[in-house]
Amino acid sequence: MAVNEDAVMWVEKYRPKTLDEVVDLKDIVESLKAFMRNPKTMPHLLLAGIPGTGKTTVALCIAHELFGQNWKTFTLELNASDERGIDTVRDRVKDFSRYSRAAFGNVPFALIILDECDQMTGPAQTALRRIMETSSRTSRFILICNQSGKIIEPIQSRCAIFRFSKLDRKAMIEQLCCIAKNEKVTLEPSAAERIVDYAEGDLRHAINTLQSASAFREGLVDEKTVSLVIGEASPMQVQIMIRKALYGDFVEARKMMYDLMGSYGFSGSDIIRQMQRELFKMSTLTPEQKADLSDIIGEYDYRLTQGANSDIQLSALLAQFAKVGKASGDTS
Amino acid sequence: MEKYRPKKIVDVVGNEEAKAAFIGWFRNKRHTKKALLLYGPPGVGKTTLVNAAANEFGFKVIEMNASDTRSEKAINAIAGPATSFVALDTFSSDTKGNVLFLDEVDGIAGNEDRGGVNAIIKIVENARVPVIMAANDPDLDKLRPLKKVCALVRFHQVRIPLIIATLQRICQKEGVKADFEALEQIAQNSRGDVRSAINDLQSLAERSKTLTSQDTIMLTYRNRDIGMDETLTAYFSAKNLLDASTVLSRSGVDYDDLLMAVGDNLPLRYQDPAALATAYDFVSRADIYRGKIGVENWNLLRYFYNSLSQAAAVQPGTYKPFKFIAPPIRIITLFWTKGKRTALEKICAKIGQRCHVSRKTAKEDFIPHLKLLLARQKAVAMIAWLELSPEEVDFLQKMNKF
Repeated sequence: MAVNEDAVMWVEKYRPKTLDEVVDLKDIVESLKAFMRNPKTMPHLLLAGIPGTGKTTVALCIAHELFGQNWKTFTLELNASDERGIDTVRDRVKDFSRYSRAAFGNVPFALIILDECDQMTGPAQTALRRIMETSSRTSRFILICNQSGKIIEPIQSRCAIFRFSKLDRKAMIEQLCCIAKNEKVTLEPSAAERIVDYAEGDLRHAINTLQSASAFREGLVDEKTVSLVIGEASPMQVQIMIRKALYGDFVEARKMMYDLMGSYGFSGSDIIRQMQRELFKMSTLTPEQKADLSDIIGEYDYRLTQGANSDIQLSALLAQFAKVGKASGDTS
Repeated sequence: MEKYRPKKIVDVVGNEEAKAAFIGWFRNKRHTKKALLLYGPPGVGKTTLVNAAANEFGFKVIEMNASDTRSEKAINAIAGPATSFVALDTFSSDTKGNVLFLDEVDGIAGNEDRGGVNAIIKIVENARVPVIMAANDPDLDKLRPLKKVCALVRFHQVRIPLIIATLQRICQKEGVKADFEALEQIAQNSRGDVRSAINDLQSLAERSKTLTSQDTIMLTYRNRDIGMDETLTAYFSAKNLLDASTVLSRSGVDYDDLLMAVGDNLPLRYQDPAALATAYDFVSRADIYRGKIGVENWNLLRYFYNSLSQAAAVQPGTYKPFKFIAPPIRIITLFWTKGKRTALEKICAKIGQRCHVSRKTAKEDFIPHLKLLLARQKAVAMIAWLELSPEEVDFLQKMNKF
């Protein structure tokens, strides 16, 4: 397997550089390789799928395959979640497409990778559509998103869409074993299973967990260590917040909510998403209770998108939890 | 209110000096100076005095007030004939003649009343009947020409004890049992305005025939731009939906500040989780309306206020005074934690650069692992690779887990 020796984070160190090295995405890779053989035919691309399934990796592989060593000169990498203002995107894309006309070999365009596009607002996407049109002679876009439904139709219709689904368990375990071998770490099969269970098809998550676990005991990763890491690395604050609310201690729960927003800069929707995730990990709740609470979370997730103040919606959500906790007399 | 409007001059409460001056003018001077301008704060008895005097002396009042348009044309249309019929009227048996009464002359304003002041002056000059005018603020520039052709009588605020006595008299006649404190509160709140005091008494007495000082708490908010603390006190102590919405409609507090303040203080108002959840649900709805209002759909503001009012009326009667949280928790939290947040954002930006992820993904997926590795002393190479400064490493180590 190819290794980027200079990288230290394993997710970077073992990120594939060519499409051939990409695991478990045969169909997508085959179609993309056809474009690589004749780059002139490459349309704009839209890569959609859940996190950690290789979208960014594939985009970077394309850059490597098109431009080789100098890929950074001909590639503009932007993260829409960081560059929320469309003006930044417009300016940087404009500047970039202007100066990169000196095309590389038989590739008549420069590449713009725009990650997390679904974080862009409607108006920003409309502006993006214009940018795509005006710079189409000089640039190709690779748009990356989690949900293609959040991308406006006109953009979707300008792109070839590739959907990335959850990675296959077997492929993930293979990949983990491969990394472990290269790092001279013994990965016990049960530990690998545990990591993959936890990662839920997110390879980035899995590799990070493996790396953290390997720091605990020299040269060995067993199931116990993995469980420890998972416990340590999960958002405990969120779980404690949920528990406090269910105990009826609304005021404390709300304090933790503000701490999550203040100290960590999480947005309301970040917290709601984490609540949803952590809720299902809580062993003290019955499946029915989880379903009911999840329903409440859903309602307020929706309200969050409609309302003006996320902390008010989250407070209302926690108040609902406190009410449910009180009503069921469940003080788990 | 109208029921207790005095019919005789002696029944008009307070302002004895003004009354004397008015009567003096009416008896004697109206022949030398035809016009009189009564001025003073609202509700102290200017209009009442004119009507009472006319009643006693047997004059007929021809009245124009702010509800009529007062352009030159309109004034002439009404006042012109009235002034010229004077001779005819003098002969009729039951009146001694006409008095032209122009109420609220300081309300003459803008394009609609174009030429209004000049028309009045013309009428005063040509009139053969006495002209009486009333105004709240006689210092307005546009009325200055008027003051030259008029005699002036100044009215003051009616003193509180007099108002209380008046209220007591009315209560007696209406069979309302009222605490002295309640009446005192009403009187004080009126700030010398008898009319508003009587109005308040009436509106309170309509709800119940016994009044205590509890009932009058709401009144303090009349006619004033009320601040956050007062708004919250009245809002949280509201006895019903109507009271709550009245408070909000009278409050001068910005609705965004109000929304945040209510959100912060709600847990102190409702101890019962079920009530709190219901109340927060209403506040959440109010917030949704706020979101939909954005910067243009202001017609939705009433639904916003309606939802917010409902949050105050979830458990009426359980209110116990508490100390309000202010300024808003969110602002305080964000202020105190700004340093932490920026430091974290910077670290996440560095991770994002290296690992091709957004700052958000870096925060959620990488920071926990980085902290783990730091705690295990296994991160030396990583720190160098991410180009983290010693301060940033220190920050990460001390930072609480989320």
